[in-house]
Amino acid sequence: MAGLSRDAERMSVLLSSYLDGELGDGELDEVVLALETDLDVVAKFRHLQTVRRSVRMLPMLEPPPELLPGAHLGVELSAYLDGELETVELPNVVAHLSACAECRAELADLDRSRTAVRALPGVEPPAFLGAERAAREDRRRRMWPAAAVAGGFAATALAAALVLSGGSDPAAIDIADLESRHTAVASVPAGATGLRVSGP
Amino acid sequence: MTRLLARSVVLGSAVAVAMTVTGPVALADDLSDVLERARSSTYTATRLTVSVWGDQTSVVRERVEHADGSEMIRVDETWSMVGKGRTIVMSDSPRGFAFMTTEEPIVTDRYTLGEATTCTHLKRSCTFVAIEEGDRTRAHMLIDSRTGAPLITYVYDADGRTFRTVSLSEFRPHRTYEWPEDGTDVPLEVVMSDETASLPDDLHGYLLVDVFGGPAASDQGFYSDGLFSFSLFAMPGGTTVAGFESADVMVTDRGAYDRITTARDVRLHWEAGGRHFVLVGDLPPDHLMEVISELPAPDTGNVLARIWRAIFG
Repeated sequence: MAGLSRDAERMSVLLSSYLDGELGDGELDEVVLALETDLDVVAKFRHLQTVRRSVRMLPMLEPPPELLPGAHLGVELSAYLDGELETVELPNVVAHLSACAECRAELADLDRSRTAVRALPGVEPPAFLGAERAAREDRRRRMWPAAAVAGGFAATALAAALVLSGGSDPAAIDIADLESRHTAVASVPAGATGLRVSGP
Repeated sequence: MTRLLARSVVLGSAVAVAMTVTGPVALADDLSDVLERARSSTYTATRLTVSVWGDQTSVVRERVEHADGSEMIRVDETWSMVGKGRTIVMSDSPRGFAFMTTEEPIVTDRYTLGEATTCTHLKRSCTFVAIEEGDRTRAHMLIDSRTGAPLITYVYDADGRTFRTVSLSEFRPHRTYEWPEDGTDVPLEVVMSDETASLPDDLHGYLLVDVFGGPAASDQGFYSDGLFSFSLFAMPGGTTVAGFESADVMVTDRGAYDRITTARDVRLHWEAGGRHFVLVGDLPPDHLMEVISELPAPDTGNVLARIWRAIFG
């Protein structure tokens, strides 16, 4: 019984592949023979054909104007890079990219820019923000002198305890950190330009 | 990641491959072309990596989305991104590295492409190609003809035994956009090339590609032979390297090394001449032994303690 079920399941897969034009030579012969000799297979084949025809007859969604042939992709490029495009939009974007050198160049620029931005080191806050923060901290210090003194005592005590216990740890490195560093370098393509901040 | 079981059980279940060989084929590409095509291929798959180090077998199962030279990888619930000199880990405290490299192309004549045959695997047209190292086969790759993705990779040790197997299942030749969130906000540590550091230019045929400043005043030398790679971290004395507390001890005629083996790589730690060294890489065991034979030997101070730990845990 289980064998029969497996055969039927396999034949369903073969029929589906047949409709997609993906059968190999041996498989094609097998399907043709089954269609000539097995009425159940014929019925299943017709059912599959009907389902596919029905799916094809479903109303097509109207693509957004920016995706119409000839129109460039614009903001869709960013969504494409982020992997945020819905299934319906994706094939249109990919088709447009394959045909439009201008959008391909824009996509490459956008990708380079994002890579560069992600690679930038942290930025120091502007001076006026620093001054404002210093003033705020000054006010806080004046409001809480006792807390500051207590904190100072605590810090001194902690430092003394560390020195007395010999527990100072000049540098600590985690092997997971080193592994991540190696993986990052190893992912640079050999012979390529590697990671660049500015364009080529 | 799980470290598991007997080698035969894991390998037997992990590498059940059914291929139909259809005939020999002349492969015009050289190895670098094959690797570059694999690097730039687009696919989504579940990747199972099995490595055998002595009597230890390590396995990792990952969900992988590979496109444009980068990979989104999910292990359990943790995502990471690797590619183009960057790693980003989306854990509770997301973090990442971006390496600014001045590397030169890897030029090595260590490997050549051997015999290649066309075949089908899981109904996909493939090429099964041997990668030769001198008179021995170092690896076999089953390459998907359409995408260039390596569906299965076997790496062999010096005795011809399978040391690592990497296989893709649930293979889809397109992206599925499973990456859960934009990694733009992850703080990246940008690491610059540091040409002042002094490290060997060549270690058993592995060429020094680039040197970077590492954490805690360490130097990171990145070495590659075009197929495998490792990083050598040289650190000043007094540095604490966390993560080797429960490491195995590998004893050679040169001394004792702390060793951690995973499915993807091997990590060694030793002290020599008042400095700490850590080696991290995916090189096979016989290459590893040759490489460390060209580096400073471990100090003998802790050998007995380490051997004691190796024997009694």
